[in-house]
Amino acid sequence: MALLEVRDVTKKFGELVANDRVSFTVEAGTIVGLIGPNGAGKTTLFNCVSGLYPVTAGRIFFDGAEVTGLPSYRIARMGAVRTFQVVRPLKDMTVFDNVLVGAFLHGAGGAQAREAAESCIELCGLTEYADKPAGDLPIGGKKRLELARALATRPKLLMLDEVMAGLTSTEVKAALELIRHIREKGITLLIVEHVMEAIMPIADKVVVLDGGIKIAEGPPGEIIHDQRVITAYLGEKFSRRMQARKEGGANG
Amino acid sequence: MNKTLKRTDLFWLAFTGLVALVPLVPAIAANSFLMHVLILVLLYASMAQAWNIIGGYGGQTSFGHAVFFGIGAYGAGMAVVTYGLPPWPGALIGMLAAAVVAVLISYPCFKLSGHYFAIATFAIVEIFNRMFLVWYWVGGALGLDYMIVEEGLANLMWYDSKTGYFYCALVLFALIFGIVRFLEGHRFGYYLRAVREGQETAESLGVNSTAVKLSAMALSAALAALCGAFFVQYNLRVDPGMVMSLDMSMKFVLVAILGGAGTLAGPLLGAAVLVPLQEYTRALWGGLGGGVDLIIFGFLIIVIVVKQPAGISGIVRDVARRIARRPAAAKGGASVGTS
Repeated sequence: MALLEVRDVTKKFGELVANDRVSFTVEAGTIVGLIGPNGAGKTTLFNCVSGLYPVTAGRIFFDGAEVTGLPSYRIARMGAVRTFQVVRPLKDMTVFDNVLVGAFLHGAGGAQAREAAESCIELCGLTEYADKPAGDLPIGGKKRLELARALATRPKLLMLDEVMAGLTSTEVKAALELIRHIREKGITLLIVEHVMEAIMPIADKVVVLDGGIKIAEGPPGEIIHDQRVITAYLGEKFSRRMQARKEGGANG
Repeated sequence: MNKTLKRTDLFWLAFTGLVALVPLVPAIAANSFLMHVLILVLLYASMAQAWNIIGGYGGQTSFGHAVFFGIGAYGAGMAVVTYGLPPWPGALIGMLAAAVVAVLISYPCFKLSGHYFAIATFAIVEIFNRMFLVWYWVGGALGLDYMIVEEGLANLMWYDSKTGYFYCALVLFALIFGIVRFLEGHRFGYYLRAVREGQETAESLGVNSTAVKLSAMALSAALAALCGAFFVQYNLRVDPGMVMSLDMSMKFVLVAILGGAGTLAGPLLGAAVLVPLQEYTRALWGGLGGGVDLIIFGFLIIVIVVKQPAGISGIVRDVARRIARRPAAAKGGASVGTS
């Protein structure tokens, strides 16, 4: 059974339909990419899955239980934890304390939680900032903090909302390395991403939204040939480039 | 890691030093006005620290703490005056009642965010004030006047000397500061601060923010009630205007904010500055009519908040940093990555 199942989820804001009967599944142990143009409803869908917004219609199942309508802290406790696209550091707390808040979820004992926090901070390359107020981090650091904090909760499903947007290409490479590492630890990932070069090589499956509707779902190799996806989002040039790269074997 | 160790060492050193000085205090300040000021410093520091749990660490500015303070005061007062008992069971019932009232009030108020919470708590003080004024079971507008009972710890009452009150205030202070110090390092303390810094973010990490805020409010109210019980024992009378007034609520808030809300030392620093100022200006210029002390109060708050929003503890921290930076800079600034 899938770890996450989104079934016919609709989200309306007044008359605006942000998500229209979207359905897809995320299998345990995989990386699923959620892509689409700006305003396609990706973040709204994230907010519905993580319990931040109530859905207008449809149902969401996580880890064998229905989570539709549950408050976000309960969904987080079940093991589905997300990051925010617009970073939300707990500004007046140190980087370490930020991550510690996450680590306390499954480590009520202080020492255990501190250890977990420390290892997540190291994993995300934040060690040198650990004692600094989180509000003082540069943007790349804040993105990594989002990741470290979510990771510290020891999630089953980690939902990343554009963690790579605005990063330099070196930082993107490091982030990809980290995401692979997270998958190897057995954590399933659902990733909203605009940087196609980043998401295509690592995703097992890609779900494409456009105007709130799912227009495609499948392995990246198929998605880049999907005519609807190319028209709506990728563009001809990108599709050819990805194809060429694949044939050249320079797949990074 | 190194840095925090050093800081706690300093903390304990200062702490031990202060404890060693305590027995000398009654000898120096026996029965004088100074003793009265010291007792009030400890009481106000305790009150502000109780408020600090929800107002500082939790970031929910409550102007309703006079209600909880008053409930504690009335609990002890009624035990003594109405039922002829020692104040202890009354104080305990007062603490429980204050916690229950706090939860009942806060549950709807926490649905209001930011300023609306503060405004709602403002209104509650007025409601309780009016209610107690006309409630004859609790003494109405006349309040409760203590009769003469045997002095001593059992009745928590002394007539000739203030030394007993001083030690009680010290225990009260140590208890409340100890609780907050424990919470600071505990999961609950981290969750409370996380909710203050970003409620949605905290929830996304599995924190039940409503439960965290309500428990913090209940604890804060119960401790405020304990302070109220001490207050009534010290004044030997209580009426609604004395305890359940916006004036009293403001004292909770001002002492904490002036000293530094959300810090352990803040309430003590705030009380150590404000109480002597208030008491001595009142003693010196009391004849000019009540208010001179409040004018100075207000002026000081404006100056401090403009200069350093983190309060006196923020000023202390800045000064400490400046001193710490000097030798580090001499070493070529190698202190950046101390971890």
